[in-house]
Amino acid sequence: MITALIRRLAEMVFVMVGISVMVFLIFFATPGSDPAARIAGRNATQEAVAQVRVDFGFDRPLPVQYVLMMKRLFVDRDLKSFVNRGQNVIPQVLEATPITLSLVFGAAVLWVIGGLAVGVIAAATQGSLIDRTLMVLALIGVSMPVFWFGEVMNLLSQARFHDTWLFSWVPALGYKPLSEDPWGWFKTLVIPWFSLAVLYIGIYGRVLRANLVEAYQEDFIRTARAKGLSPARVMLRHALRTSLIPFITMFGLDFGVLVGGSALLTEVVFGLNGIGRLTYIALQNLDLPMILATVIYASFFVVLANAVVDFIYIFVDPRMREA
Amino acid sequence: MTDATSPSETPAAAGTATGRPQSPFRRAMVKLWYDRAAMIAASVLVAIVITCLLAPVYAKYVSGTDPFRSSLSAKIMIDGKRVPVMAPSTEGLGLGVTPIGPTFGAKYMLGADTQGRDVAARLLYGGRNSLLIAGAATLVCLFFATLIGVTSGFFGGATDVVLSRFLDVLWAFPVYLLAISLSIILIAQGLTIGPFTIESGSLLLPIGIIGVIYVPYVARPVRGQVIALKRSEFVLASIGLGIPRWRILFFDILPNVTTTLIVFVPLMMALNIVTESALSFLSIGVQPPDASWGTIIQEGQGLLYNRPMVSVAPGIAIVITVLALNILGDGVRDAFDPRSKLRPR
Amino acid sequence: MTCLPTGSALRRGLAAAAGLLLASTALMHGASAAEDRAALMAAHRGGTMRLVANAAAGTIDPMVNYTSQFWQLYQSTYDGLLAFKHVNGTDAFTIVPDLAEEVPAPSADGKSYTFKIRKGIKFSNGQDLTVKDVVASFQRIFKVASPTAGTFYNGIVGADACLKTPADCTLKDGVVADEAAGTVTINLVAPDSEFFFKLAVPHASILPADAPAKDVGTAPIPGTGSYMFASYDPNTQLKLVRNPHFKEWNVDAQPEGYVDEVDYDFGLTEEAGITAIQNGQADWLFDPPPADRLPELGSKFQNQVHINNLMAFWYAPLNTNLAPFNDERVRQALNYAVDRDALAGLFGGSVLADPTCQILPPGFPGYKPSCVYTQDPGEAWSAPDMDKAKELVAASGTAGQKVTIITEDTAVSKAIGTYLQSVLNDLGYDTSVKPISANIQFTYIQNTKNNVQISISQWFQDYPAASDFLNILLSCASFTPGSDASINISGYCNKDLDAKMKSALALAVTDQAAANEEWSKIDAAFMEKAPLVPLFNPKRVDFVSGRLGGYTFSSVFQWLFANAWVK
Repeated sequence: MITALIRRLAEMVFVMVGISVMVFLIFFATPGSDPAARIAGRNATQEAVAQVRVDFGFDRPLPVQYVLMMKRLFVDRDLKSFVNRGQNVIPQVLEATPITLSLVFGAAVLWVIGGLAVGVIAAATQGSLIDRTLMVLALIGVSMPVFWFGEVMNLLSQARFHDTWLFSWVPALGYKPLSEDPWGWFKTLVIPWFSLAVLYIGIYGRVLRANLVEAYQEDFIRTARAKGLSPARVMLRHALRTSLIPFITMFGLDFGVLVGGSALLTEVVFGLNGIGRLTYIALQNLDLPMILATVIYASFFVVLANAVVDFIYIFVDPRMREA
Repeated sequence: MTDATSPSETPAAAGTATGRPQSPFRRAMVKLWYDRAAMIAASVLVAIVITCLLAPVYAKYVSGTDPFRSSLSAKIMIDGKRVPVMAPSTEGLGLGVTPIGPTFGAKYMLGADTQGRDVAARLLYGGRNSLLIAGAATLVCLFFATLIGVTSGFFGGATDVVLSRFLDVLWAFPVYLLAISLSIILIAQGLTIGPFTIESGSLLLPIGIIGVIYVPYVARPVRGQVIALKRSEFVLASIGLGIPRWRILFFDILPNVTTTLIVFVPLMMALNIVTESALSFLSIGVQPPDASWGTIIQEGQGLLYNRPMVSVAPGIAIVITVLALNILGDGVRDAFDPRSKLRPR
Repeated sequence: MTCLPTGSALRRGLAAAAGLLLASTALMHGASAAEDRAALMAAHRGGTMRLVANAAAGTIDPMVNYTSQFWQLYQSTYDGLLAFKHVNGTDAFTIVPDLAEEVPAPSADGKSYTFKIRKGIKFSNGQDLTVKDVVASFQRIFKVASPTAGTFYNGIVGADACLKTPADCTLKDGVVADEAAGTVTINLVAPDSEFFFKLAVPHASILPADAPAKDVGTAPIPGTGSYMFASYDPNTQLKLVRNPHFKEWNVDAQPEGYVDEVDYDFGLTEEAGITAIQNGQADWLFDPPPADRLPELGSKFQNQVHINNLMAFWYAPLNTNLAPFNDERVRQALNYAVDRDALAGLFGGSVLADPTCQILPPGFPGYKPSCVYTQDPGEAWSAPDMDKAKELVAASGTAGQKVTIITEDTAVSKAIGTYLQSVLNDLGYDTSVKPISANIQFTYIQNTKNNVQISISQWFQDYPAASDFLNILLSCASFTPGSDASINISGYCNKDLDAKMKSALALAVTDQAAANEEWSKIDAAFMEKAPLVPLFNPKRVDFVSGRLGGYTFSSVFQWLFANAWVK
């Protein structure tokens, strides 16, 4: 167990170093990426540009620059942006985190409940019209690009029907901190939550239904049903329990990826300044320190989620423990 | 659907052992043929592809405009009146210029975009690009995934360790961030490999990028399957008989992997269409003046309040296409590999 | 309204806003301005104003920041020795004494100026302003590597040494203090007609002598202005409060503000910002309103919209060293072919942009209306001349060549690029467009290594002098091959015109009017060679809340928030 943990940790570190090196190299391979003139300001003299180059260490060999940057990111914790002079990147990432967490948490609650409901109801009414309708809806949910759905939601709630009772409560786009204005926080996030969750409700509902249907063919369920247990009890106590393992795996991975910044399309469409949007803007501006910070942060969550899922597996599934 | 599969049915892998690899394939095709939902989806897809291929015909004979040329000062006839395509506001201070809205006629059926171009015609041209990119990217992805997955699984050892770690790094890199970093660089400078140069506006770039980012999602299951096959009795038997490794690779392993790949095709296509549109939406996919469904949505974003149709129409096109691909994908999976729980993201 | 530049479209646009403006501006011009101001102050003083923007503009250091977004704020937080007058329109081009008691006359050789520093002025931290602070501030320009250190302040004696080794910068013979007399003398290497302007921009702000000798980033430096920065977080908010030690000394240079506090919030999209103002939750938005909201603003909210001329132009630099634009005829052809009305439409319509075919913007010193590249050449542009353009291209024999247009990835820039692509295709070229992130594009198109043929760019004035457009954008000295800092994007070096610009600069020291005359000729001479395609002069749309009064727009630093009230 301990060695597995240590091995896992070593792997995590390896992957994160790999990613940061990759990002670093990609950056320096890009034309126009030399930030010296941008930092120096418009119409700066050649001397000013040269001075910036020396001040920021752009004249040093790449490996040295990489090590220095990592040191400033992790040891000194004062790595500064290339685009917004004097702006520390770590606080930026820390400030964006609660926004992304709020978005992903809320959406996760929605999609777990929704996914469970869709999967269980569809499996219970297998073959009926309800089942078919739910599965078609789930498939439509899976097929909609999230950014487009978000835009349509914006169109409806911010413009077309904003003045009607339906959406008059919807505040302007943007984020309100939970600590300052809990009700405002909730109101601004409801539509983003829903938009982000639709895709996952579809996926989870479909997967859960398939697993439940499969479970019903297993011997232990047949036994349970033969014993005369109520259908609800069979479903909730027996079938659902075994079917939840892949559900948990998927949830862990999806959650990690989203917290790591993959909710960026939702964040861009709804004007939420979360990690995804921060990364996207940093990439567009070729702001290397910010890119490094956000990408390392993102990969950390993805790798962590992978590891957690592995351990949960060992916990939940006794067969894995023995292996 | 899944429930139709009886558990007693022979899995695809067992079929090859008898030495008649075409038989399970044909059986699956027959099964697919009788899957009504899948066939409807397939027909819808064929219809979409044909419609999109007719884009030049539509532009020339129906809309009568060049969908790649700005027509900011053009005027068209509607109900016997000459109407400017780009109408300056006349109310109050007269701020802003609004493109013509949906006429539901032959010209500007879905309205004009900010450059005064016919959205309906662009939608068809955009569809060609979206489908082409998604299809080609699927092939790229499956090719590399097979190469990596089979190499890694079949040869094992150091090769496996290196390739698996490489996949790990790619895997942990959030897909969109990877795609964005690659796009931003490649679109800025194009790509030069040896004597070949891909220009920055080329469609090959989005194809390559989208193809590459999903490689781990396919390569991992392929690798797993190859490892399982290597341990299976019929391969062990072949090894025992002294059959050369390359023969085992090509005649025993690859045909079995192909089934997995076929199941992946429609699902990856669906995924790639959505990814392409997302990248284009972030303006790092297809480059102007070329269109794709994603770029049209993106260009329509600035008109969302006044002319929502510009953004809504391509979105609907995406939903219908992806939905059809997903339904077809379900059918293909049920027919070819009913036991698998493949779920590409 | 005489102070405003003329223009039929502008007149129309301003008619609605005029009602609101007239009250304050007319009073300011009157003889009893001071009394009226006192009355207004009594009626409207107090309250909190909320400004919003998409994003902050980086460092708060007034010697390093080079953005119009924060320069606007520095007007009321920091002072230089001199200032641009805080009034409406082009009157703001006037230089007035700020921390100096008066605008000094030059010495006989025109190379030195002696400033008498006002007494009794305190920084917002309570420290007295002394001549030492003035000397230290000029040294600091070089120590923090201010972007303009090498372009604006390199004419001070000793500046060359400071540029080489900034850490040891003294400007010993360049900026000389006389503590007893309370004066500071600045010695120049050569007479400079624009030196006063350079002293009035934020990079020459006077800061406490003990201000850190490096870019302060997000930690504000105390200033002498009517407001001070209380806190700054680029992600959320910049807060300005009254400077407790401020006493008004010259209403033209540093007027006392009406509101008690200014909250400048970041992170709101333009859409959200517009909605917030409509709902009365914000008073002003920095970013231009999104195109699809313009019709709504212009009709339903026309009393809250202010439209003003910007001293700026959008243009397409043509690389004069690369085919096909190394051929003068091709450059002229494109100038003839461009439909500038259509381009104005892409910017929001004829009310928001005026077509132009020259480099200097209307109302600027040296501006003389002229347009060669139109159907009936004269003072104004009327319609594109496609036939002439095609003739010129045919004569050049370059048709069929490949052209790539580099634009920013903003909506307007991309739209202009797409339009120019259509035009170039019509002229027979094989054209493509390449949008690049707005942050990178500006340096990317400057570097000759990137082989950019044609791009879309904008130039906004730093200070009102013709050289700020012509000399900076087109002089041989502004062209450095292989560097990211080569603002002569066209790479156009015309020895003859370069010499003329030098003599115009020298002439301005003695005779500004004659020099301006020269500049208009230079403007026309450059346009004959067409190293760039001027597209249009943009206008600023300010959308303010219903409660905001006293709107004043300076042609130099745009909206002056200190002159506005919310009560």
